[in-house]
Amino acid sequence: MTGATPPLRVLVSDTAVARVAAHRALAVPGVLALQADLTQTALGIAGAWLGPGGRSAPPAGAAAEVRDQTVQVALTVVTGLGQNCRDLAQAVQRAVAAEIAGYTGLVATVTVTISEVLLDA
Amino acid sequence: MVTQDRVQPEPVGSVPGRHRVPPADELDETTLVVRAQEGDPNAFEALARRHQAALYRVAVRVMGDPVEAEDALQEALIDAWRRIDRFRTESSFATWMYRIVTNRCLSLLRRRRPIPVGDIDDRRPGPDDPGRSAELDAGLTALGRAVQALPDELRVCWVLRELAGLSYLDIAQITQASEGAVRGRIHRARVRLAEVMASWR
Amino acid sequence: MAVTGPASGPAAGPDGPIAPLGCGRDAALVWDRTEAGLPPDEHERDCPHCSATFAEADRLHRLVHRMAAEPVEPPPSVLERAMGAVRTEFRQRDLLELASPHGPARLSRPAAAAVLRHAVDRMAGMRARSCRIEQAAGPGPDGQPAAADVMITVTARFGVELASVTARVRQMVLAAGEQALGVPVRRVDIDVVDVFEDGQP
Repeated sequence: MTGATPPLRVLVSDTAVARVAAHRALAVPGVLALQADLTQTALGIAGAWLGPGGRSAPPAGAAAEVRDQTVQVALTVVTGLGQNCRDLAQAVQRAVAAEIAGYTGLVATVTVTISEVLLDA
Repeated sequence: MVTQDRVQPEPVGSVPGRHRVPPADELDETTLVVRAQEGDPNAFEALARRHQAALYRVAVRVMGDPVEAEDALQEALIDAWRRIDRFRTESSFATWMYRIVTNRCLSLLRRRRPIPVGDIDDRRPGPDDPGRSAELDAGLTALGRAVQALPDELRVCWVLRELAGLSYLDIAQITQASEGAVRGRIHRARVRLAEVMASWR
Repeated sequence: MAVTGPASGPAAGPDGPIAPLGCGRDAALVWDRTEAGLPPDEHERDCPHCSATFAEADRLHRLVHRMAAEPVEPPPSVLERAMGAVRTEFRQRDLLELASPHGPARLSRPAAAAVLRHAVDRMAGMRARSCRIEQAAGPGPDGQPAAADVMITVTARFGVELASVTARVRQMVLAAGEQALGVPVRRVDIDVVDVFEDGQP
């Protein structure tokens, strides 16, 4: 016990994690945008899609809930033809989970929902 | 909001085996309805585009105010999307939409504070108020005001008949009243309007 | 004031019977005939009640006709806002399960249906109308999400050879399910429900 350093507790907000997740997801090839959910619509930002470089608080199409040692992340993704949706979902899950682990040290369970496949993108 | 560009049609024969995909607005109404029922928002948008002017015209004259008519129409469209799986494709989509818009208008009207008849002239501009005060349109303005002064039940039936051109049967379905009641309401509306217009002259 | 008959007597509510004209004729009928553009019949020409009603109805009808002919369009914002809500409204029950070892992965069922319909539309000679995708809930025998059954109704171009075209469509749908969606398709049913000629919707 003597001489041991006290454990370092890092507190990360849900919003911060969601923002990291959104940013990383948008960089995955095949992800065209994240789709805002109903909350955004209620706020009057009808049909808002957050493309790369966009900012809103909280991030559109991404939500996170930080628990003790783990974090739940949900992403709503828009893609286009030319992608395999299953492979894309898995790629997003891997990339985002790795990013969050590197950033926070937390284990993330990433739920991906592909909400739209643009036919003319 | 991101807008989706239409697919650029390729000339037939330019790429062997490829074929121009018909954009949503060229499809027949049954196909659009079925696709919308299955959750295709583009098909629903094509339907909304086809019908929105006719529905808006009804809302404007029923509500007496373009802004409230816009709200009524917007809510009616969202309503229609949510309930579209309950629409039976054998019946008329237009009639079904008129019913949703009419119900929206009626519920907005019920929530309105009643305007004393004497104050009608002081309300904010209606659909054809000043801006176009030429003598030719003065009659229309007066008629518009007279229509607004009708009791809601009479006005709704009258607008559906005279401006939307619907049959008594359709109007009965839309308002959930008997055909006889609809006939009576339209007649009473016409008589009142004629009286008001006669004394206006 | 015209001799048209009372709009509503003390005993009649808004839907009560309409009092007949002084000559016994149904006032509403005279109005309807005027609106239909029918000329007055023999009785109506001679009868002071009917001809006065006719004249009054005609006067009002001309004004109403002008009102009905006014071009009225809703502003684009109405459709934009409605479609904004439609597109972001998520019916959670409309999700297909995708195989993934990394956590829950889902695909919107309407989005998947649109991809499959698009694959059909790209084939010359057929247009997709309805596309239903059914996937049994829970993991299949191998622990992966269950395969999907696809039911498509199509309209076919008049004159195409149905057997070979439907066989090609079946292949396209299987391939699209595997390559574009990543959902294994177990069964494809194609129902040809109508024919169209080129240039027709």
